[in-house]
Amino acid sequence: MNLLRTYILPRILQWALVIFVGISATFLIPRLSPINPVDEMIGRMTAFASIDPHAVVSMRESAMALFGLEGTLLEQYGRFWARLLEGDLGVSFGNFPRPVSDIIAAGLPWSVGLLTTTIIISWTIGVFLGALAGYFHNRRWSQFLERFVVMVYPVPYLITALVLFIIFGAWLQIFPIMGGSRGEPALTWKYISTVLYFGFLPALSIIIGAIAFRFIMAKALTTTEIANDYVQYAELAAVPKRKIILFYVARNTMLPQVTDLALAFGAIFEGALITEILFAYPGLGFVLYNAIYNADYNIIMGIALLSIVGVATAMLIIDLLYPVLDPRVRLR
Amino acid sequence: MARKLVLLVLLALLVVPTLVGVAQEPQGLPVEVPGGRANLFVFDQIFRWGSVGNFNVWRTGGNTPHHHALMLETFWNGDQETGENINALAISGPVYNEDFTEMSVDLREGVMWSDGEEFNADDVVYTVETVKANPGLTQQGWHAQLTKFDVGVEKTGEFSVKFTTLPNPRLHTVFESRWAGLYMMPSHYVSEVEANLADGETLADWHWEAEDVIVLGNYLPMDVDPNGYWELFKRRDDPENSVAGIITGGSGPPYVMSIFYGNENIKKAIAMSRGELDVYFDVDIESFETTLDTTPTARSWYKDFPWAFPNEYSTRQLAFNFEGDPLLQNKDVRWALALAINNVELQTEYIGGIAKVTTFAVPPTATMSGVYHEALEPWLNELQIDLGDGEMFSVYDPTVPDQINEWAIAQGYDVPGTPAEIFGTGWWKFAPDAAEKLLMKAGLSRDGGGNWLTPDGETWTLDLQSDPSENDAYRMGQAAADMWQDFGIDVNFITLDRGAWNQNHFVGAFEVSTPWMSFALPAGDFWPRINGLHSDYYAPAGEDYRPLGGGKMRRLVDPKLDELLDKMEGIDPIGQADQNIATNIEFIQHWVENMLDITCIAFKKLVTWDEKYWTGFPTAENPFAMPLYWFQGGKYAIQGLRTTS
Repeated sequence: MNLLRTYILPRILQWALVIFVGISATFLIPRLSPINPVDEMIGRMTAFASIDPHAVVSMRESAMALFGLEGTLLEQYGRFWARLLEGDLGVSFGNFPRPVSDIIAAGLPWSVGLLTTTIIISWTIGVFLGALAGYFHNRRWSQFLERFVVMVYPVPYLITALVLFIIFGAWLQIFPIMGGSRGEPALTWKYISTVLYFGFLPALSIIIGAIAFRFIMAKALTTTEIANDYVQYAELAAVPKRKIILFYVARNTMLPQVTDLALAFGAIFEGALITEILFAYPGLGFVLYNAIYNADYNIIMGIALLSIVGVATAMLIIDLLYPVLDPRVRLR
Repeated sequence: MARKLVLLVLLALLVVPTLVGVAQEPQGLPVEVPGGRANLFVFDQIFRWGSVGNFNVWRTGGNTPHHHALMLETFWNGDQETGENINALAISGPVYNEDFTEMSVDLREGVMWSDGEEFNADDVVYTVETVKANPGLTQQGWHAQLTKFDVGVEKTGEFSVKFTTLPNPRLHTVFESRWAGLYMMPSHYVSEVEANLADGETLADWHWEAEDVIVLGNYLPMDVDPNGYWELFKRRDDPENSVAGIITGGSGPPYVMSIFYGNENIKKAIAMSRGELDVYFDVDIESFETTLDTTPTARSWYKDFPWAFPNEYSTRQLAFNFEGDPLLQNKDVRWALALAINNVELQTEYIGGIAKVTTFAVPPTATMSGVYHEALEPWLNELQIDLGDGEMFSVYDPTVPDQINEWAIAQGYDVPGTPAEIFGTGWWKFAPDAAEKLLMKAGLSRDGGGNWLTPDGETWTLDLQSDPSENDAYRMGQAAADMWQDFGIDVNFITLDRGAWNQNHFVGAFEVSTPWMSFALPAGDFWPRINGLHSDYYAPAGEDYRPLGGGKMRRLVDPKLDELLDKMEGIDPIGQADQNIATNIEFIQHWVENMLDITCIAFKKLVTWDEKYWTGFPTAENPFAMPLYWFQGGKYAIQGLRTTS
């Protein structure tokens, strides 16, 4: 009961406050921008054709009413919360009259699928290899691996992705250069295999850098950890190495790694902009980019809402998990 | 153990991609159609759709590119290759009464909707009345245009209609496409939709699902990517009853797909080399050369140099903000900037020699050259400006196309026509000495290093903004910046993303920029294209001009321009064509004499197709239609395709 009152409840309140402030800020910030969604839409239309100026003024008035942008900021804010509490994210201005929920639903599975997979793979491999390399830091394979990773890590993501694109997409031509799948979505191997096929290069491009980052972090943490007396004592006591690595060293390095994992999951809703652009891969990153570019308030709001809730919830879960993972937190 | 595990992981990283890749059919198109690739024509979608799956194209925000060529019809299609209006749903041109309060149109018989109903005058009456009555049907501003002139329409026969309007000699332009003309609705279908709308709903709320769509065009939507990267269409069962089918006699590919590979030019070239793109709409010269190297069956408008289609109706200019740098309000300064540009070098070294030169915002197409450029050539040859020291300087150099021709021959290219046909018109002399005198006349001076100082003695710094996504405009900007820098001006060449660049135009936050513009419609009329330049639509720098509806990015207020625009508005462009053209020429002369912008080149489009699967696209040798398939009149190019197999 004491734990609930002093530890869990304050964190839940903090979580709710973060979400409220975050959403309110996301409502306000785009509206402070000089870009107006109605004018952006009209700008797109007049880019193709010469339209009578009177017609443009009339279109503008009509669009202001359709977009619900009339009234003071406070009135818009009130309408926004009323709508949000009913679960309505509104319609996209840039893609009028398509509902925001529809646009997010189209991109979300791809962002979640791609980024969840890449996070799990890169985290598992990176932490595992980093821990091994940190523990066996004098071995030749460990030193080779470290040098290789240190060489790969500083390469900007765009370059890695571009190299993969050129080798497998343009030169060997064995992987697609656009899209997320082929055929009608279905729970069949035929369709799922195309999802894997189309997603392979985008995923690999993310995984390479992410493994390198987590390898370096895990190795550094492990190297520090094995200098502790208890590790040396365990080795002198002939405790099996597997046990030392997995149950002693790895567990003690887990707190920052789990924090990293949770934050990475929370950020999934922001999508992977460069990957999506380079591989013309569906997802939320490009949708968000375009929404900012076109002052599409409702889409910015919708994606930011997911992201804020995602990150705040991830942080809440971590906070709640710390006592489970680390007895020292429980004692404090 | 650890070493084995590490090796295993690394091995997996190498083997898995190879296996996954090899296990799949080596093609990356996201759709499959009956008969496979041989039945599918794949074209470059000009941007990624946001609003997908709703084919109510009359509403606010509907996507129109490609849809209007594949599915939609209007009365007349402007052909930018020939300059002619092709009779689409109309069988002849508009007939006005004397005071332009009535317009009669005879409709084409035998055109069928894809559900088997015949198109007739009822569809026209229903479309006009419905669009006029619904403020939410804002596509291309047609609702507002019909309302502004209080347009009415009545059926005078099964295939004839008569419009009533407030005096307006250009009512027909609502139904005439350069980009798009008012899309006809299937009255037998939409009237039922309208009757069944819920309370409070209008046709702007109507969501037209792909499977329910009825078209006058040749293609029906079949499948749509919810993320907007592609759309798949199938040919209607009776292509011979579509307008394009009737006019061309062709049936077109059984399936067509638009696909968006991204804005990076090279990706389109790669997609074509993989056999996954049959035509792209434009790339830069380097990506085009990659295509020629990697796709032996690919070609553009010309089989060889200068390859690109030169007749899209637009031009590129260095535009001034008349409320930016105060020096730019001085005509002599603007002329000095023009004379400090070597347009031969710009066109060859920066653009690759493949765009036509022009001195004003009308592309020198075969048709427009005959109407405007040839008519103005004697005047341009006589045009002189006062350099300030009593000397009158002849500014025009008619040999510019000959100089470019010599450059092309020196590169080893065969030029497939006269220099004027291929490289356009003359241009301003490259005359730094004259430019120097003009700047001196304007009160500027040079410092010891040859750099220009303002009349206040400060270094003259000029900001030039450009957006790299328009590769010709960007390179034109780079050329001007380099040449002005060589001339001693401190130029900041600012590269901006399209959004920021546009935004700066809207609020007048630039000094010089690189937009594009054409004064003329394909038929040569100016007023519909340029009436937004009237000072009625002026907003000062710092305020967005768009709420006023015009196109005053330049913040230019010029009573003479207003006078000419007012005069144009009252002229019948068809019945009084000579008077209209004379006024248009007067407009050009005023624009050029005052150097209101520095127009350098016309549009070029490296619209390029691969003949691996499909042949029959229009070419310079067989120019039966314009190859600009993304315009409403681009349908004829697609309809004429034949399978190579």
